[in-house]
Amino acid sequence: MSRFPFGSAALALLVVALLSGLWLAEDPVGGRKATLTLWVFSKEHYENYQNVLPAFLAKHPGVTVDVQLVSNNGLAARLQAAMVAGVDVPDMCEIEITNAGTFFRGPLKEVGFLDLTDRIHRSGLWDQLVRARFAPYTKQGRIFGLPHDVHPVALAYNREAFERLGIQPDRIRTWDDFIAVGRRVTRTTGANPRYLIELSDTSEGQLELLLFQRGGGFFDANGHCTLDNEKAVETLAWYVPLVAGSRRIGNDLGGGQVLTQAVEQGYLLSLITPDWRSRTYENDIAHMSGKMALMPLPAVRQGGRRTSTWGGTMMGITKRCAHPDLAWELAMQLYYSREKLADRYQKSNILPPKRDLWNDPAIQAPKAYWSGQRLGRIYSTLAPHVLPQYASPFLELAKNKLSEALVACVQQYNASGDAGFKAFCRRRLKQSAEEVRRQMARNPY
Amino acid sequence: MTTFKIGRRRADGSTPLPGGAARRTFRFQQRLAPYLFVSPFLILFAVFGLYPLVKSILLSLYVTNGPRDHVFVGLSNYRFLFSDPDFGVAVRNTAVYTFWTVFLQLPLALGLAILLSQKWLKGRNWFRLAFFSPQLVGQVFVGVIFMVLYVPQYGLVNHAIHAVHAGFPLDTKWLGDARLVMPALVLASLWMYVGFNMIYFLAALQAVDRQLYEAAMVDGANGWQQFLAVTLPGIKPVAVYVLVMATIGSLQLFELPYTMLQQSAGPDKSGLTIVMYLYQNGYITGDLGYASAVGWTLALGILIVSLIQMRVTGVWKGASA
Amino acid sequence: MIWEIKQRRPRHRTGARRRSAVIAGRLAVLLALTAFSALTLVPLVWLVAAALKKPDDLFHYTFFGPRLSAQNFVDLATKVPDFGRYVINSLFISSSIVVVQLLFSSLAGFALAKYDFRGKSLVMVIMLATVMIPGQVTMAPLYELLCRLRLVDSYLGLIVPGAISVFGIFLFRQSMLQIPDDLLDAARIDGCSEFRTYLNIVMPISRPMTGAFCLISFLGSWNSFLWPQILLHTSKRFTLPIALNQMVGMYQQSYGMLMAGTLLSILPVVVLFLLLQKEFVAGLTTGAVKG
Repeated sequence: MSRFPFGSAALALLVVALLSGLWLAEDPVGGRKATLTLWVFSKEHYENYQNVLPAFLAKHPGVTVDVQLVSNNGLAARLQAAMVAGVDVPDMCEIEITNAGTFFRGPLKEVGFLDLTDRIHRSGLWDQLVRARFAPYTKQGRIFGLPHDVHPVALAYNREAFERLGIQPDRIRTWDDFIAVGRRVTRTTGANPRYLIELSDTSEGQLELLLFQRGGGFFDANGHCTLDNEKAVETLAWYVPLVAGSRRIGNDLGGGQVLTQAVEQGYLLSLITPDWRSRTYENDIAHMSGKMALMPLPAVRQGGRRTSTWGGTMMGITKRCAHPDLAWELAMQLYYSREKLADRYQKSNILPPKRDLWNDPAIQAPKAYWSGQRLGRIYSTLAPHVLPQYASPFLELAKNKLSEALVACVQQYNASGDAGFKAFCRRRLKQSAEEVRRQMARNPY
Repeated sequence: MTTFKIGRRRADGSTPLPGGAARRTFRFQQRLAPYLFVSPFLILFAVFGLYPLVKSILLSLYVTNGPRDHVFVGLSNYRFLFSDPDFGVAVRNTAVYTFWTVFLQLPLALGLAILLSQKWLKGRNWFRLAFFSPQLVGQVFVGVIFMVLYVPQYGLVNHAIHAVHAGFPLDTKWLGDARLVMPALVLASLWMYVGFNMIYFLAALQAVDRQLYEAAMVDGANGWQQFLAVTLPGIKPVAVYVLVMATIGSLQLFELPYTMLQQSAGPDKSGLTIVMYLYQNGYITGDLGYASAVGWTLALGILIVSLIQMRVTGVWKGASA
Repeated sequence: MIWEIKQRRPRHRTGARRRSAVIAGRLAVLLALTAFSALTLVPLVWLVAAALKKPDDLFHYTFFGPRLSAQNFVDLATKVPDFGRYVINSLFISSSIVVVQLLFSSLAGFALAKYDFRGKSLVMVIMLATVMIPGQVTMAPLYELLCRLRLVDSYLGLIVPGAISVFGIFLFRQSMLQIPDDLLDAARIDGCSEFRTYLNIVMPISRPMTGAFCLISFLGSWNSFLWPQILLHTSKRFTLPIALNQMVGMYQQSYGMLMAGTLLSILPVVVLFLLLQKEFVAGLTTGAVKG
């Protein structure tokens, strides 16, 4: 035993505390403060911006930019808390589309981001971008974020398996065509189950974008909850039989490595795929290179819209930023310039929202992974048809309520089938929407 | 209570003491010492313990947007809370989880402790170490590990069950099926806490008077009767303490489901607990007032449950020691 | 012990049959214990195996694959370059909290055990009352308070409020009640100041309790999640539980790497536990058994 009165364990911990404290003192967090600090939550974005930065820095000698990769989990809540607490926040930050509304909970003047509306009109961006993409970042007509993307949606499929099963993608035009194929090839039981499409029976992910495809959504432009309108009822009553009952054609095992296995082993034959997700397959499901292909989403009715949208990111400039002009310029460079555009596209497959960039040869080029298809061309023809979705601080809540309605309807369908099912969906959505409205009524701002 | 005995001793003159001015500083120092010793704690406790406690009662009467904007709303936070179906689900989930963890965990822990307390047993330390080891893994880390163990189609849990019972579908989604999330949580928490509670029972068993067993044996009691007549009464204070602590811990469940279900409440809120509700509706939204209201409701719930448990088991003061 | 006594019960059996029954009983106990402990260790063994497998082998082999690989750790170092920083953060915060808690709790415990002073019973009553109130109640006003003190998003914001441990005070008071008063008086007569008495007499006697307290307290702050998650904003200041919780969402593609991170995160606690095992078990049970 040591002669330290508190014993050797305490002595050891004291030494650890001192050593680690010294270490941390040597490397303080806010140590070298850059001219602009930018938080991003996507690894792909992070790598891309590192690429574009040198050109920007060359134009602005003496300026430093610190791009930090942070996790999206709780990012918006954390940033919002930091903004209202007056704690150090970055100069610029990327926010995921669902979370943008978090910043709009309080009064308009309390929004922690700069109002960019005038800049957007003055610079001409209002006319140059896919206009629907401003909506998610707008509160009471004022725009607080620059859209990073359009994220049009297509259907990625296992081309090899489709050929083996005699499925002809060209002849699938509507969801009815698609479902007919699904009923034929899906095997829900046995040693090797197989589902035509990845659709979730518990979370709202795909249901939501199919709702968007039909022109539905969670909120309208005035911020009223539209979760229980007739479009939503129709979508839900149509969707549930695809993931429930014995005739279902969709299932979902989760993401990550499990998804990789599920696609490689033919458990899932097709996946609804926005541009950003197509790139993740190229990395994560690399064994399927040359065996995958892309087709537009089946339409609801013959000749209808063959796309929807899934996900999105904005960039905002915080009110604490000391150099808003510089920040704006950096945002323009990162989002809408031709600087390293080919590189950026190669790394992400993400179509920029600025229409005049779509003709870039890199975007139009064929891709080996996708059986030689011109991925960018497919997505850019779909992009103009993407409909707007509207921001709300209650978006997250509404999504949760939709997924609860989905689970309830799946249970109902499994138990009682088609009888009175649509009426049940209507009642259940009404209940969900009422719960959202109750929460909204509580907000005094 | 131990009393300070210098005074008595000085009175009977048996203790030589330093004299004069030295004695005065000595006595002064002795009177002052306890205040100095408790003051660092007391000051911190007053500022960071008591003040927030009182403040949280006031705060629970406001709707807030972060720490700066406050709007007084009276009791409407509480009214909303009790009428919110989500909170109802959170309470139900937490209650179900608490029931199962306590009623599976404690008997299992006691059983293991009884087996481990056999005198002839060699390597008792190794077993104890093995059973206790999960306790070293924090809830977040357990959440990460079990998230991967529960993976459908390719995960260890599904393959293990499938190996024993071939009819079990490999693509069972433990964390993606509203009916299976709770069993998955209970199983993970059993893994974490059985060994922890076992340590308490083990210590209590060792303190039971062995002569009581001999007496019971003479009376012709069989093993089960001995358990009821001697073991249970002997370990009762500890058992109640463990029961109350396990219940309180279960009622505050948060990290395990929050990590395992990837920062969500799970399908159909099946993994939503009271503290998760508090976190999502208070801190994520920045409504600290509402968070306080939920916190106090939870505190009262815990108090009531603990008091009932102590009342029913007839140990009123045992648990506070 | 119950089983043992049962075995000694006089029965109308031959000695050999009784012995074989005893052996069968013991075998059953041993078997049950072995099975249960194996089951308990499976997730931990699997964790080590998953961390040491090649990332692609994760789902192809139940436990260890044919080749051991450090690839997961290399991935961790390259994809999460701040991981080392998280380890240091956790070490700093946890050990600081333990050291401060130890000092303050043992001092206050000493005062409550061995002195009579005004307001003593009031202090005891207030502490007892707050023990039952869960921490979630005070978090919101505490956050607000720390905002005003400019301690949000700082190490101090975790360490200073974390320095209070009512549990620790009860623990130390309990064990210091056993110290004979004569010992303290003798020290005083030798001219020791009260603080010297505490340092040279009281603390060395309480050492087993100190060891146990260090571990319990370290375990608590090492694994604590909710409060740091609310208080810390900058990722460079994150502790391991927060960092790992975030990595789960970010690296769904690299379960092996997540397991490597998890393994590294629990290693310090395991080391400390193995060093202090005996005191830990003693301290953990003292409060309950003697109380």
